[in-house]
Amino acid sequence: MKEQFSRDKWKQLFYTVSHPSDGYYWIRHQDRGSVGIALLLVVLFSLSFSMNRAYASFIVNDVNPRAVNSLTEMFGVVLLFLILCVSNWSVTCLMNGEGRLKDIVIAVGYALFPIIVTMVLATIASQFLAENEEAFYSIILIIGLGYGAIMMLIGIMQVHNYTLGKTLITLFLTLLALFIIIFLGLLMVDLISKVYNFGHSIYTELIFRT
Amino acid sequence: MMKHTKFALRFLCLVLALTAAVPSALADTDLPYDTYNYDYWEDIVITPAAYVPGGALSGTDYTYQGNPVGAFKTPQDMFVAEDGTIWVADTGNNRIVVLSADMKQAINIIDGFDMDGERQTFNAPYGVCVSENQQIYIADSNNHRIVVLEMDGSLCKIVENPQSEVLEDGFVFTPLKVSVDYADRIYCIAQKMFEGIMVFEAAGNFTGFFGTINVKISLWEKFWRKLATKEERSKQQLFIPTEFTGIDVDDEGFVYASNVDTDGLQAVRRLNPRGQDVIRKGPSQNLGGDLWGDDTHTYSGPSRIVDVVYRGYGIYSLLDSKRGRVFTYDHEGNLLYIFGGLGTQTGTFNTPVAIEHSGNTLMVLDAYRATILLFNATEYGQLINDAVALRYSGDEEKAVEKWAQVLLLNENDELANSGIGKAYLTAGDNEQAMKYLKRGMNRAYYSVAYKRYRNEMIKDNLQYILSGVLVLIIAVIVVLKIRKNKKHGAKGAEA
Repeated sequence: MKEQFSRDKWKQLFYTVSHPSDGYYWIRHQDRGSVGIALLLVVLFSLSFSMNRAYASFIVNDVNPRAVNSLTEMFGVVLLFLILCVSNWSVTCLMNGEGRLKDIVIAVGYALFPIIVTMVLATIASQFLAENEEAFYSIILIIGLGYGAIMMLIGIMQVHNYTLGKTLITLFLTLLALFIIIFLGLLMVDLISKVYNFGHSIYTELIFRT
Repeated sequence: MMKHTKFALRFLCLVLALTAAVPSALADTDLPYDTYNYDYWEDIVITPAAYVPGGALSGTDYTYQGNPVGAFKTPQDMFVAEDGTIWVADTGNNRIVVLSADMKQAINIIDGFDMDGERQTFNAPYGVCVSENQQIYIADSNNHRIVVLEMDGSLCKIVENPQSEVLEDGFVFTPLKVSVDYADRIYCIAQKMFEGIMVFEAAGNFTGFFGTINVKISLWEKFWRKLATKEERSKQQLFIPTEFTGIDVDDEGFVYASNVDTDGLQAVRRLNPRGQDVIRKGPSQNLGGDLWGDDTHTYSGPSRIVDVVYRGYGIYSLLDSKRGRVFTYDHEGNLLYIFGGLGTQTGTFNTPVAIEHSGNTLMVLDAYRATILLFNATEYGQLINDAVALRYSGDEEKAVEKWAQVLLLNENDELANSGIGKAYLTAGDNEQAMKYLKRGMNRAYYSVAYKRYRNEMIKDNLQYILSGVLVLIIAVIVVLKIRKNKKHGAKGAEA
């Protein structure tokens, strides 16, 4: 546990953010990444996301504060993150990807770092903005999202040792796999609830008959 | 001793105040319906009652010339004339009953008129209206004509059998509702007439349609129609525009017309003399009554607006027959309050068909119960009406006083908060303005207030900000210098 959050691991995070290509290369080949930090970043991301929704200033924020629930949002973010990683893993396994599940988790997790930072920055900046100045707010957010997306792309490319074209194709397939997983999940939940209801109605029937 | 009496006095005052306050607080909970509104987020917010039931008028309460008037029979329309007299189209009894302005007595019953020396009667008169020139317009539906009478009951003219190229052959004119403007133009809603409101000039000639609602066909429906064969197409539902259900003419001669909108988006139109819709929509861009009608019970679906009444100062009310609600909007399309409901208790409706107003009393005609239900404005409703009226006439300053009182009764009223915020903004108190404008969800004005507040803050604290920046720069330089020295020192030691 301690090893996961050691000084070197943190250093590697910042190095990866500033030098994505190189950073991810060493994460894959010398185990310099940390799954712990990656998961922490996912949690931080969901917190900053909820914070942005709840506390961005009135002028830029059109979210009903009654609709913000950081716990359910965290649940959703973590679930989506896990499904994304698993679907990417299952696709790249078949396409000669060199990355392990661990590497994928780190690649995606670390890519959230710039998004977290800009989300917090944008939320703070929004407190000082009036109408017609929303552009600053959205520029900060767009920069963060863009940088995060680029980092993720490079990360996936590096950990699997892919070319850019192949990365894009696998990302598209990952998306498909993601939908398939969600579809199967929903199907399963539905079927299980049907079986449960069946059992439940038999139970009530028996109770009422006797 | 002194202290004790003081305490006793205070206690007495408190008890008195409580006993005085309790009945009025309880009164609202006795109502058979909730008064509510939609907030910025389109959530339902229950508010204090704006209108409370104030009794009911039924035909059996009255006598005319010594004879009992008798119960109304499926009355379909009602009109309040300028002098306050109430005209009821007693459809099932083929007559028009006129009640006095104080609602105490019946002052006239019209059951027919003399034409060419012959006595003529009505057959299911659906609509009635009195013009500014004191003429009575009666939609004599099953006789397929509009009868215009003078006040003394003598015949003025009859409008029937309209002739025009735009009318289909074999069209049977069955007028349901009539309304008249200052120039004696007749606006008539006719049965199965989907092209719009029929307009007749003073002489009684049909001049054309008015305020036609265009049919909306979605791309998807067009696509399916392309695929369908001719036979299939003939069996499909026709795309017909919605029917108008009620009309009222305002002081400027603009026509308020309600219609049934199956999408629940716009159930009322304000038509200018050319027939164009010039109504203003509020922040929710919705004039269709309830925003959420998608419940899964019997009364689901969008509101079915059956009548509209213009109440002066830009305020108008819509009557919904699906859930028995009365929706009131201001001239900007903001919802002011919603009340009413279906049921069997006093103050609820069974089949509401027409709405009118007389002073501060709203009247709703119920066809099944054959009664006119009265609703009186409460302090809350009256304050909102007054504030909106003052704002409509441009007297914002006085309106603010009213809004402040509204806020005492309902802290969440967005219009009131917004109004007060604007007042603070004009007065130069930007911080207070921001607080109220935010509560009123008024982004544009909030932003103005915030900009001023920000400038103020910067101006007041300029010296601190500048010196802070200076200190920061110096600190950074010093730290950098020290680091450099340290590195040099370390290197020097190594060497």
